[in-house]
Amino acid sequence: MSEIVDVTTLRSWLIRFAGDVEEHAAQLTELDSAIGDADHGSNLTRGLKAMVSVLADGTTPPSIGPMLKQSGMALVSSVGGASGPLYGTFFLRMATSAGECDALGPDSLAAAFRAGLEGVLARGQAVAGDKTMLDALIPAVETLEAALNEGRPFGEALKASADAAEAGRDATTPMLARKGRASYLGERSVGHQDPGATSTALLFRAAANTMIDGEDNQ
Amino acid sequence: MNSTVGIVVVSHSRPLARAAVALAGQMTPGAPVRVAVAAGLDEETLGTDAVAISEAVTSVDGPAGVLVLMDLGSAVLSAELARELLDEGTRRRVLLCPAPLVEGLVAAVVTAAGGAGLGEVAAEARNGLAGKESQLSGAPGRPETPAISEVPAALARFVVTPAHGLHARPAARLVTRLRGIEAQVEIRNATTGSAWVPALSLTRLTTLGVLAGHEIQARATGAGAQIALERIGSLAAGNFGEPTGPAVDPAGRQEPSAHASAASPGIAIGPVHRATPAPRLDDPGLVDVLTRTPELEQRALATALEAVRHQITGLKGLLTRDEAEIFETHLALLDDPALLDQTRARIGDGRPAAPAWAATARETADRFDDLTDAYLAARAADVRAVGEQVLAHLLPPVEETFSGPGILLVEDLTPAQAATLDGNITHGVVMAAGSPSGHAAILIRARGIPAVAGVGAFVHQLPEGTVVALDGTTGELVIDPGADTRQDFLDRAETTRRNGEVTLRQAHSPAVTRDGVRITVGANASTPAEATAARARGADLISLVRTEFLFLSRDTPPDVDEQEAAYLDLADAFGGERITLRTLDVGGDKPLGYLPMPVEANPFLGVRGLRLGLRRPAILTDQLRAIVRVARQTPVSVMFPMVSTLGELRAARELLDEVVGPRAPVGLRVGIMVEVPAAALKAAVLAPYADFLSIGTNDLTQYTLAAERGNDDVAALGDPFDPAVLQLIRATCDGAAGRAEVAVCGEFAADVRAVPLLVGLGVRELSVTPRSVPDIKQAIRATGLGDSRELAARAREQPCADTVREVLRSRPSSGSNQK
Repeated sequence: MSEIVDVTTLRSWLIRFAGDVEEHAAQLTELDSAIGDADHGSNLTRGLKAMVSVLADGTTPPSIGPMLKQSGMALVSSVGGASGPLYGTFFLRMATSAGECDALGPDSLAAAFRAGLEGVLARGQAVAGDKTMLDALIPAVETLEAALNEGRPFGEALKASADAAEAGRDATTPMLARKGRASYLGERSVGHQDPGATSTALLFRAAANTMIDGEDNQ
Repeated sequence: MNSTVGIVVVSHSRPLARAAVALAGQMTPGAPVRVAVAAGLDEETLGTDAVAISEAVTSVDGPAGVLVLMDLGSAVLSAELARELLDEGTRRRVLLCPAPLVEGLVAAVVTAAGGAGLGEVAAEARNGLAGKESQLSGAPGRPETPAISEVPAALARFVVTPAHGLHARPAARLVTRLRGIEAQVEIRNATTGSAWVPALSLTRLTTLGVLAGHEIQARATGAGAQIALERIGSLAAGNFGEPTGPAVDPAGRQEPSAHASAASPGIAIGPVHRATPAPRLDDPGLVDVLTRTPELEQRALATALEAVRHQITGLKGLLTRDEAEIFETHLALLDDPALLDQTRARIGDGRPAAPAWAATARETADRFDDLTDAYLAARAADVRAVGEQVLAHLLPPVEETFSGPGILLVEDLTPAQAATLDGNITHGVVMAAGSPSGHAAILIRARGIPAVAGVGAFVHQLPEGTVVALDGTTGELVIDPGADTRQDFLDRAETTRRNGEVTLRQAHSPAVTRDGVRITVGANASTPAEATAARARGADLISLVRTEFLFLSRDTPPDVDEQEAAYLDLADAFGGERITLRTLDVGGDKPLGYLPMPVEANPFLGVRGLRLGLRRPAILTDQLRAIVRVARQTPVSVMFPMVSTLGELRAARELLDEVVGPRAPVGLRVGIMVEVPAAALKAAVLAPYADFLSIGTNDLTQYTLAAERGNDDVAALGDPFDPAVLQLIRATCDGAAGRAEVAVCGEFAADVRAVPLLVGLGVRELSVTPRSVPDIKQAIRATGLGDSRELAARAREQPCADTVREVLRSRPSSGSNQK
């Protein structure tokens, strides 16, 4: 199995993520209507569509950093809500970390995810347990790093990372929101799964599905 | 200097942001504050966009910095991300402010309009809620917990007489006059019985609702209490500095203006913006500048001081006496012993001139800031302004970017920079140096962007955002034009546009002189877009394709197929009419990566043009192959540049003959450029080997007068109207007579004044930018061959270029094309 993620694979990952979010748009919006302003699904779908149209028009740079940067900028310009600057920051920081190269090895990919995570932490000023996308993002990145450190195969590490993101997503349900629009609800936010963590879990599941050879048969 | 803080309003809703801006604008009508809106994804869709915010910041950026106000949630995140997207220089000048949007915006606009710095504008914005809080915290009129708890040392009442009461401007004057006095001063509206507010807070003062005729009450404690109240008294007696009559723009005020060289025709009015951000005295990167010997650094300092002195002196000549006074201070600072001694001492200690100067200027400005006297405190701004100006001369030039909308203000442009200008963003160009015959001017003209050149270094003194009006046809530049001047410029633009429509309608007919001589008018075009424009504007042929465009900025030369395709594209865009392909014309001044050349002391007198082609025949042969292929499909002329001897021309033709083979393409014509005086004088020898001679007047002028176009100090010598150049054109026409046709393809050809002169000298083809084709055709139609010959004969006998122009001006007017 290849342990190299090239620019084509990363594009597939982003396109897959966009497709998954669109598929789950209704669910995301429903989750957001419980504790937010009911726009996460539609906002993110709109932003990702803009990103996909950039990726699809054949003008994306052939090198990873610039490709991720262009994708992030497209997203930022069309989301509108908080997920724009947050996901935008994630991809832009990934772009900086990856730099001008054709392919990423497992450790470089993990480093890029880590840079993205640090960016989201700094941008959102939230911490784990605040009932935000970080509750999926932090375990996803940390699990990937730990698995690679233990010498587990890349494919297995990516799967573990996606699993961790989903577990983190599920764990947001009983949490009390402390950031964003949901925090205005206080106690009433308890009992609802966080939409941001939900979309982040999709991001890492899409990574596992596209970056592991033969997994993306659908 | 009226450089004010720029403000950006970030909101989820575009209508909300616009309304907030309108509200703030009402408080300070006519105030010179730049406010940009970055709100909503479009008119209806709610949302925020970091990219739009960063663009909004850039659009209002200036030396005073930018304050960003935002509503909630993602607006904050997007604003933070936007900050990250900005370039380093701008980022340092941007402050994201947590003030409430509407109240903060009003306070910020009012404070910025008063010329306050970024920190103060931000503080006032954050304070914007204070007025409302105090208002709602108790019954109106009930004093809030007084800050002055002891018995005030002084108490007084004043009537407020300005027509709009104590609005932002008079309130700002009050704050300014009181600042620095050792006293605590509070004011209330005695007429409405309002709460007491601190007199130093602009936002609080403007919430007092003081109208014309209201009485304000002031109380003060502290050592300066009496002085404070006296100052308020004198301010009130003087109508708070407001005009007493109706508020009108003082008529007949002087507008500084300059007469520069007309570099590209057209009218532009707008704010100037610089390509290069001014360096900051507190730039932490300064310490990184490499150190040379202290002697060299001392000399660099002296040179920089002298350069700034020169700039300021130039500016003063254009200003009214009051305005010029400001710059007296700046001049004095350049000689200030305290500043200079300390800077020199620091250089003596081994620091480079730039950080040494910056540190001294910064400290001096900070000291002025601390002074209690308002007048002296204002000098801090002067020290910073001069400090940064000198610093700019001490630092290596930074790479320039051209993004902001308005009128670009630059020292000069490289051709590459000029080529990237976008007329939708850059509405006009003001060049401190440069000349109308420089490459930059040629490229700017081709883009149809109005420009003036050679204005003088003084324009660098203009604050960012100063509105100027320029006429690129006459070379006029008016700084801060009044309504009348603006209208005058707009009228000119309208007249030009209307004349242009008539001219354009006739552009597709041949240009024939009054006495029936057909003059061909060709266009220079090197891209399909230019070729399309040439066709639309009635060019009879494309008389110059600069094929360099295919060869530059790449690692390997284009192969035959690629060249063939590119040339065919051009021919197609021109509707299959004749195109003239000039073979590669490069030299040591712009070497190609795949064609390494030895460094030459004088690249303009070195291996260039055909000289290079013959030394490296592989590239020339490939190019000729492509040209011949194209010539078998569409009418083509080939032209060899930089010919100086018969041997070169024969060698080139032999190469061409080899490529052509036994069957010559029908309609392939061969020509040479006449750029070297030697070629002009040997036209009779060269003409038998060519179908046409095309005089490149730019290079011919430069070589004849031995004056390089790019060198400002000698550029004026290189005047195509010089009689020597005219005699060489005449010699070319005489030598070629009956053997080859003579064209002129320099900028000279596009000068309507030169048309009768060139026709009279014997030129039968003019090659100009696509844009100029209709005008030149009109000029030809107004020309008579007989008159032109006489005119040319007289012109050739003139002693200098100026008298040649006089001769042209004095000729009996024969058309409407003379300005």
